[in-house]
Amino acid sequence: MSAAAPAQAMPPPPPPPAMTVGLVGWLRANLFSSRVNSALTVVLGAVLLWALVSLVGWLLFAADWAVVTTRTPLYLVGLYPAAEYWRPQAALLLVCLLLGVTWGRWGRAARGFALGLGVVLLVVGLLPHGMQPLNRALLLLNTAALGLGYLLTARLTLGRLPVFRRVAAALHARAARLYLRRPNRLPPAAWLTVQASRLLNAGAVGLGYLLTAWLALERRPWVRRAAAMQNALAARLALGRPKRLAALAIVSVIAALLLIRGIEGVPGLTPVNTQDIGGLLLNLLLALFGIVMSMPLGIALALGRRSNLPVVKMVCVGFIELVRGVPLITLLFMSRHILPLTFPANIHVDALYLSAITITLFSSAYMAENVRGGMAAVSEGQVEAARALGLRGWQTTLLVTLPQGLRNIIPAIVGQSISLFKDTSLVFIIGMLDLVEMGRVTIQGNQEFLDNGREVYVFIALVFWVFTFSMSFVSRRIERALGVGRR
Amino acid sequence: MTRLFTVQGVPVWRNIVVLRWVTQLVSAVLVLSVVALFFVNVSREIEARDIPFGFSFLTRAAQIPIGETVIPYDPSDSYAYGLLAAALNTVKASVLGVILATLLGILVGVARLSSNWLLNKAALVYVEAFRNTPLLVQLLFWFLVVLSLPQVREGYVAFDAVYLNNSGFYLPWPVPVDGFWLWLGATALGIAVAVIAARHLQRRETESGRSTYPILTAAAIAVVVSVIALLVFSPMTLDIPRAEGRFGRIQGGAQLGGSFTALLVGLVLYTAAFIAEIVRAGVQSVGKGQVEAARSSGLSALQTLRYVTFPQGLRVIIPPTISQFLNLTKNSSLAAAIGYPDLVSVASTMTQIAPAISLIAIVMLTYLAMSLTYSLIGNLYNRSIRFKG
Repeated sequence: MSAAAPAQAMPPPPPPPAMTVGLVGWLRANLFSSRVNSALTVVLGAVLLWALVSLVGWLLFAADWAVVTTRTPLYLVGLYPAAEYWRPQAALLLVCLLLGVTWGRWGRAARGFALGLGVVLLVVGLLPHGMQPLNRALLLLNTAALGLGYLLTARLTLGRLPVFRRVAAALHARAARLYLRRPNRLPPAAWLTVQASRLLNAGAVGLGYLLTAWLALERRPWVRRAAAMQNALAARLALGRPKRLAALAIVSVIAALLLIRGIEGVPGLTPVNTQDIGGLLLNLLLALFGIVMSMPLGIALALGRRSNLPVVKMVCVGFIELVRGVPLITLLFMSRHILPLTFPANIHVDALYLSAITITLFSSAYMAENVRGGMAAVSEGQVEAARALGLRGWQTTLLVTLPQGLRNIIPAIVGQSISLFKDTSLVFIIGMLDLVEMGRVTIQGNQEFLDNGREVYVFIALVFWVFTFSMSFVSRRIERALGVGRR
Repeated sequence: MTRLFTVQGVPVWRNIVVLRWVTQLVSAVLVLSVVALFFVNVSREIEARDIPFGFSFLTRAAQIPIGETVIPYDPSDSYAYGLLAAALNTVKASVLGVILATLLGILVGVARLSSNWLLNKAALVYVEAFRNTPLLVQLLFWFLVVLSLPQVREGYVAFDAVYLNNSGFYLPWPVPVDGFWLWLGATALGIAVAVIAARHLQRRETESGRSTYPILTAAAIAVVVSVIALLVFSPMTLDIPRAEGRFGRIQGGAQLGGSFTALLVGLVLYTAAFIAEIVRAGVQSVGKGQVEAARSSGLSALQTLRYVTFPQGLRVIIPPTISQFLNLTKNSSLAAAIGYPDLVSVASTMTQIAPAISLIAIVMLTYLAMSLTYSLIGNLYNRSIRFKG
């Protein structure tokens, strides 16, 4: 009896602890942590589910994508003469090659972008829709160029590709486990059954075995020989050196631009009317020009604003504040009405160049403010140390403050580039047919597409989104590569 | 010979004072000559092509219809008055846009900070989708959505007072009558009393450590006083929109035209995405120790946000938010693409008859004035939050 009394006094054992790990734990922590949160999750979940279902339903069933698929070239290159479509295609080929080279050289920073572009090209090239076989072949060729550029520069053997390595490692493990079980000691019939079910269950483990054996490529002599040759080639091309890479980039971009615009007097490369360059091509050209040119201009303006020479400073401040104070649309408007008047009468300037100049000037004012902010964030000690080492004023700026300042503002530069890319859609003001305007013209000019506006704008928004999102993705990679925020 | 060009043993071309003057002079001459070249070219072209120039047109009758205006406008009014009406349209869109975008932006920013995974990710998707696509595409899309609403006769109606159809959005609006100023005075008095009460209660709360609900009490005082004054003075009548005539045209009330509704929706959704990111970054910039201290003092996550992190984050949040307000104001010029008569759109219509150069100058000066106003507000705020001592 006496032994039972303490047992009765014992409190009942506490309930087992709620699961805090695994799926249930995750759900509890992130979706149902409190009563309010649970209610929120349920209501929001219902709303989102409804939105998602109606969106997917619209995308797949209600939407009529003929307005996009039958007019694809218009959205991509505008009124570019159809007989000359091979030129933008070839330009894209160059860009793809360059991107592949960059990927091979820089690896991580460009990999996501290159792979993404490759996948998009591949999908568009293989999708069943009304595209001419020649264009389709060219599109697929672009993917090949991307891979070729990579193979040319990356010092690698196939087995070192991270994807292959990871798959190979997993398959190796699988195969090793399979060997360890030694199923062939069973009677043959049973062995077959077991093996067959295993094959089915494990998702073709046999195939995995084959792949593993095949993927251990590096051990094969011919692969080693090929890899050595490829490495030698990459070394011969010496594209690993940044200066040559930059030179290659500049040359191929110029070649691409010349291809698109055409050269006077060269057969097959008749110049294209700049008014006919439109669609996404126009947005990309304007954005490229604007980003490349506004960077040095912005740096110059920022240095001018930081200068202690009053006249220089005043001019720079005046320009920056004037441009930042007005909408781009009024500047474009001005460029249409006033800029042509500022040139001598015998020089005619195309709308394309006018808009490129205006967008560059507009963006450089914002870039200048970013650069100034980045340079102001460089600590005073850096400047003092540089001066103490005997560097002159301009040397301190160019070698110490400016590089560190620019590293500080990578996100801001990318943000500015993104907003510049989005702003290229405003060139409709001076009568250019960019992607957005092309969409609007397509809807309003065709009776049969009058009700398909949503499809067009969703498509256009998606195209812009893909580019802007990859820009911010690359920026995050570059930031990580340069160790921003970790030093 | 060398003696002639040296000052205290330093040759002139290495004398810092001389160098500075020469640099400035050269740059000034460069800039001025470029400006002069432009000016000469422009004035020659103006003469050669007989382009009209000057501001005398401002007093003439504009003869241009403006779809919707804040102040009464008639095509027989002058250009100057037409531009003023258009500028007020821009101001109307920006002010409403700024208020709504701030509210939505803070909401989404707080959602981005939520521990609720679903809410957090939904806000993230919203921000990434709206920030990364051109505003122009969004505006055109919303305009399309408004246009595809049912026609006036078949439009949505709530309580016979709120109308939504493809011609716009209509809701009841108070119109001041006699006694409006008395009511305004009484309300102001109520607010003053409420502020004093709030201060007193706040002091008591800080001293005693017990909740005295200062803001709630103050709001109650202000609302009660205002409502009593409303009943006593009856200062306003409600102008209720109603469908009239054979075509069901809607008269009266506050009318938000179709393109204005699209513009407002587009601007608000676009800018709110940016403000949300600013709010999130600002709150996250507050030291982790503050959050930990607040949570260990027993504040809930929401209380931590309300009393600790958000107020401290405001210092980081407000300057970029003000620049977003400026962006919104400038972006409202995209109204030209969807036919809302804002300043840019009206001015560009006027260029068909009036001198373009003068009109552009007026438009740019107006926007500069607006952006200066925003900078002024920003600078005043920055001065007020500067660490003292």
